[in-house]
Amino acid sequence: MTPIVRIEHVEKTYELDDNVKFTALNNVSLTLHKGEFSALIGPSGSGKSTLMHIIGLLDKPTTGKIFINEKDTAHLSDNEISTLRNEYVGFVFQQFNLINKLTVVENIILPTVYARKKLAYDPIKKAHEIMEQFGILEKARSYPNRISGGQQQRVAIARSLIMEPSLILADEPTGNLDTKTGNDIIQLLKKLNEKEKITVLIVTHEHDVAEKTRRKIHIVDGEIVSS
Amino acid sequence: MTKTMEYIIFTLKSALFDFSRNKGRTFLTSLGILIGVLAVVLLTAAGLGLRKYIQQQFELLGSNLVTVLPGNLDEGLSSGGPAFGRINFSEEDFQKLKRVRIIKNVVPLYSRSFTVSGGNDSKYSELYASTADIFVTFNQKAEYGKLFTNRDVEKRSKIVVIGPELGKKLFGSAKKALGQSVKIEKQSFKVIGITKSKGGGLTSQDLDNAVYMPYKTAYVFNTEKTIMAFYIQARTEAEIPEMKRQAEKIMLENFDDDEFSIVEQKDLLSTINSIFSIVNTVLVAIAAISLLVGGIGIMNIMYVTVTERIKEIGIRRALGARKFDILSQFLVESIILSLFGGLAGLLLAYIIVFFVQPLFPAYIDTFSVVLALGVSSGIGIIFGVFPAKKAADLSPIDAIRYE
Repeated sequence: MTPIVRIEHVEKTYELDDNVKFTALNNVSLTLHKGEFSALIGPSGSGKSTLMHIIGLLDKPTTGKIFINEKDTAHLSDNEISTLRNEYVGFVFQQFNLINKLTVVENIILPTVYARKKLAYDPIKKAHEIMEQFGILEKARSYPNRISGGQQQRVAIARSLIMEPSLILADEPTGNLDTKTGNDIIQLLKKLNEKEKITVLIVTHEHDVAEKTRRKIHIVDGEIVSS
Repeated sequence: MTKTMEYIIFTLKSALFDFSRNKGRTFLTSLGILIGVLAVVLLTAAGLGLRKYIQQQFELLGSNLVTVLPGNLDEGLSSGGPAFGRINFSEEDFQKLKRVRIIKNVVPLYSRSFTVSGGNDSKYSELYASTADIFVTFNQKAEYGKLFTNRDVEKRSKIVVIGPELGKKLFGSAKKALGQSVKIEKQSFKVIGITKSKGGGLTSQDLDNAVYMPYKTAYVFNTEKTIMAFYIQARTEAEIPEMKRQAEKIMLENFDDDEFSIVEQKDLLSTINSIFSIVNTVLVAIAAISLLVGGIGIMNIMYVTVTERIKEIGIRRALGARKFDILSQFLVESIILSLFGGLAGLLLAYIIVFFVQPLFPAYIDTFSVVLALGVSSGIGIIFGVFPAKKAADLSPIDAIRYE
C-alpha cells in the first residue's frame, strides 16, 4: 500500500502561562495509506484536532517529521506549504467554515481561485457536477447562512473535493448535525472513498461514527494507543 | 474567463460585499479622503482661477502699457511686501511726464472706495479719478450719455460716469441713472454717462460697479492732490524700453531710485503670479494634511476589518491561499475605499466649481484630477499595507480557530 502521509515522532507542546508546558502530542508516528477510510477517535482534549491540523499542514509540530507522498515537508516555504494545502488536502470542519458573503457555488470553487497549477477541468462545471451528485444544485446561488446545516456540510465537502485532493480531513463533520443528517454525511464520505478512491480521515469522539470506518486510530492524552 | 480575471473578480467581489454590508462605515471612512481631495482640488482650482482673474484684469488694460508705481517692487518682494504708499506722485510729475515725447499717453490715477448713494439705495464702489484717457486705458465706452472730457477735468465739473450695475442698483436701471445725481461723502455729482457692461466674470462686474470722475474734481476727497500711479503708453512695443528709461530719468529728478518702480504689465503679472503661487502652495499643503488624516482613518478601519475577519482569513489559508493572496485582498479593499473617497471628492469639487464659475473663473485642470486620484490610491496602498500585512502574517491555525 502506498503511504500518502507519514508522520514520525511528532511532538507538539504549547507554552502556557508561568512557563508551564502542555504536551498536546507526544511522540506520535502514523501512516495513512492511499484509499484508506479511517477514524481518529479520542475524547476531547486528547490531541486529535491538533494531529489533524498537523497532517493537513495547517500547523507545525514542535519536533518530528511529516512526509507527504514520501517527501519531507520540514524545509518547505510558506508558499509551498500553501500550495500543498491547496492541492493535496481537502478540509471539512465541524463549523462548516463556509464564507457567508460568497454564494454556494463560489464557496465551492474558492480553492481553485488560489490554485497555481493549470486545472484540467472547468471549476464551475465541476462544481455543478458535484452539487448535482450531492443534491444541492438548486442552492448554487444561495448564501451559506440561508441553507440547512446538512446542506452546508455538503457544500463544505464539495469544496474539499474541487481540487481533486488525495486526502480529505474531516474534523467532527457530524458534530453540528442531527443523527440522521450526520449519518448521511458519513455515508457520503464513505461513497467518495469507495467510488473515487479518496483517502478519508474522520476525526471524531463519537464511537457510532467511528464504527462506520474501516480503520480506527485511538488517541488518548496525546498518544496513539491503537491504530 | 482567464485565471487572473477570475482572481481579480473574486477579490473585488469580496471587497464590495464588505462595503455594502457596512455602508455607514464605508462612507465615513471614505469621507476623510473625500474632504482631503475636495480641499486640495478646490484650492488648486481657486489658485488657477485667481491667476486667470489677475490675467484678465491686466488684459483689460491696453497694450504697450507701463505702470509707474510708488515703492520699490523688487526690494519689496525680497523683504516682505512692496513698500506702497511711502511716497505719492504729484501734479508736477504728471506734467513732466506729459512733456516726454516718446510717451504717447499718460494717465494719472487716484482711486479709493466710497459708499455711493442715489435714488433710494447706496453701494460701496471703487472710485477711479483720472483724465479722459482712463476710458481708453480701461477700454470703456458709453452706453448712455457720454464720457467726461479733459475740459471737464480742467473745469473740475461735479460730474461722474458710472458703471451699469451701479446705475441699476441705485436707480432701478442703467438708463434711468442718466441725468440723476449721486452722493459721495455728502457731495453731489451729476451722472453724465453710463459705461457699456463688460458682462460675465467677477473682473468685469467690478468695472460695471465703478465710478469714474475727473481727477481734479476728486480733489474734494484728495486734499493732498496726490496721484497714486501713472499708466504710460508707448506707440509701439519696441519703444517700451526707451520710454521706461526716459520716464525713469524724469522720476529720478524728484525721487530716489528705490522710491518708485516702473513696471511693464508682464513684469507685474509675473510678480503677482509668483506671490499667489506661493500662497496657493502653502494652502494646498495645509489641505493635504486632511488627506493624511483621511489615510489614517482608512488604516484604522482596515485594522478593524482584519480583526473582524480573522476567521475568514483562516479559512482562505486552509484552502490554499498564500500570504500574498491575503495581502492583496486587503490592499485592494483599502485602495477601493480611498479611491472611492477620492472620486467622490473630485465629483463634489466639479459641482462646486461649476456653480462658482459665473462669479469666479476657478477651474480644475487635468493635473489636479490625475494628482487627486493618484494620491488617493497611493494613500490606499500606504495606509492599507500595514493592516494587510498583519492579516497575511496571521498563523493559519490561530486564524481558523479564532471565534
